Amino acid sequence: MRTLLRLIFVGLVAAGLAGCKREETKTSGAAPGDPAASPTLTIGVAFETLQTEYWVAGYEAIKSEAAKRGFKVLEAVADGDANRQFEQVKNFITRKVDGIILVPKDAKTCIPMIRAANSANIPIVLFNRPSDKSDTKSVAVVADNFALTKSTVEYMISEAKKTGKKHKAMILMGDLGDINAVGRRDGFDAAVKEAPEILEVVARIPTEWNQEKAQSGVVNALQANPEISFIFTSSDFLFPGIVSALKGAGKYKKAGEAGHVILGGFDGDATAWQMLSEGYLDATGVQDVYFEAQQSVQAIVDLRAGKTLPEIIRDPGFVIHQGNAREKSAQMWGANVKKK
Amino acid sequence: MNHQAPYINRRSLAQPVLTALRSEYLVLFLCLLLFSALAPFTEGLASGNNFKNLLGNLAPLLVVAVGQTLVLIVGGIDLSVTSTIALTSVVGAFAMNGDDGWLKGSPAATPVAVMTMLGLGSLVGLGNGVAVTKLKMPAFIVTLTTMMFLSGLAIWMTKSKPLYNLPSSFTALGSQLWLALPIAAALAGLAHLLLTRSLFGRWLRAVGFNSRTANVSGVPVDAVIIAAYVACGLLAAAASVLYTARLETGSPVLGQRILLDVIGATVIGGTSLFGGKGKVLWTLFGVLFLSLLDNALNLLGLSHFTIMMVKGGVILLAALLDTARTRWLAA
Repeated sequence: MRTLLRLIFVGLVAAGLAGCKREETKTSGAAPGDPAASPTLTIGVAFETLQTEYWVAGYEAIKSEAAKRGFKVLEAVADGDANRQFEQVKNFITRKVDGIILVPKDAKTCIPMIRAANSANIPIVLFNRPSDKSDTKSVAVVADNFALTKSTVEYMISEAKKTGKKHKAMILMGDLGDINAVGRRDGFDAAVKEAPEILEVVARIPTEWNQEKAQSGVVNALQANPEISFIFTSSDFLFPGIVSALKGAGKYKKAGEAGHVILGGFDGDATAWQMLSEGYLDATGVQDVYFEAQQSVQAIVDLRAGKTLPEIIRDPGFVIHQGNAREKSAQMWGANVKKK
Repeated sequence: MNHQAPYINRRSLAQPVLTALRSEYLVLFLCLLLFSALAPFTEGLASGNNFKNLLGNLAPLLVVAVGQTLVLIVGGIDLSVTSTIALTSVVGAFAMNGDDGWLKGSPAATPVAVMTMLGLGSLVGLGNGVAVTKLKMPAFIVTLTTMMFLSGLAIWMTKSKPLYNLPSSFTALGSQLWLALPIAAALAGLAHLLLTRSLFGRWLRAVGFNSRTANVSGVPVDAVIIAAYVACGLLAAAASVLYTARLETGSPVLGQRILLDVIGATVIGGTSLFGGKGKVLWTLFGVLFLSLLDNALNLLGLSHFTIMMVKGGVILLAALLDTARTRWLAA
């Protein structure tokens, strides 16, 4: 037992020493809260997940934006667990980071995280997903889902016009609990409303962001309405299911070929880039990941300098289509993922 | 003789290590070792603020893991704890949220919601226990299907939308450490007393060690097993109160990813997966170890993938050490 006590004692002494050492380093050097004294900022980046290409591209873009400015990045990925994310944000606060960039799990569980950062006086920026209204202060950098979808669908409609006939259309909607999905659906509806003579929407597929649901929905819709010749999906990641359903119906044709179904999407991922460069996809609304990353890091710098920023910074994005694919590809994150 | 002297020397050097290995405080030593090894390189690890964070993270996990310990002691396993957490979180939030809660604005909202959550958790445990004992189904399958069913139910009830606007008297339970920590400590302490000082505790171990001999000796085996599952469900619901209050949100995916942490912490502590052996104190050490590991690796600023690999490796190492030790002690 004495040996045990000795071991515990040694452990505690070591721990205590380590603690003292930390205190020392903390008191010396520049105060981390002072922007003028620390040009090299440390930014904590907390992602909800890195499981889809889009998030990986976003994460890489933030890292390279920070590297450009000589900032240090601490990373944390919560693997879909909001509680873990909360712990990670608290860890960032413990480490006295100069700013936090957060991709929250959802619009609500991030509110206590924002509150914790607020009370520690650390600026916090939400990347690509806004939070619900609350008493907290944060800045969100998000794509303009409505406007970008509207311009994408308008381009598709202009292509449809060229065929000189009326088209039957289908939309794949996302999880309507997700504000991004709602924005995209509304953007689609707004564009369609302006061209009743060109389009008639005959199928609206609720996918809940699920590839299997999307595929079976498309198969059923094509069976019920074989003349569908215009498809918009609220996210590019649903394309594999659409393509396989179209192939099954013998309707997967390149733009310009007879029987081509006009296809459009949103996100600008690697699959979309491949389909675009092979001539199957007409257009997709690209979220400008590089713009969003740049704005997020800039927002932290601005907030630290005491500037007032709007609650939401919009990423206008851009429509990439058969006409501008080559010149715009450098800005399309999906094209860059593919090149790697 | 010349050979003898260095041999004795080596033995006396190895003695403290062997004593530590043999000790039931091994995992606590590992925690201290981990802490003192990482503290010099890890900014903020030894700060007061971080101790607060660590305790705040530890409290709810400890409560779930203690419940799991009771079930593991009787030779069962409860995989449904995570979805019990999710379901009770959602139901509690449905009852008390300020938007369209059943008890919106009532001063009784918090106590009634908490009691509902605890009652529901116990009910889930009762269902599991009855299925395992009366229907003679394997605990693994019963609780796996309960997990799937409850998780689906929670998502269906909310249409996968989290519920916000919970009363501040409720959220204080999770956000105020001076409230959350005593709750967790009291529950763990109660379970500890139950296990060590009561007849029921002896019954639990007897059933886990050998249910047939326990039965022959007059232990009400089925009732003891059911009681263990009920306690586990109740504690999962109590953990759900802490988690939900901390996030200020009733979420249908709350706790979905912590199953490995719960079972891992319990087993690292030394509780046997085969029943009959386990202590609340061990589980406390296991939970402390995992929470500390998570916290330190995170503060080190390692990439997500590195953390997963290190964590997996360390858990495996701890489990190997435990197996080796058990075999060696038995020999």
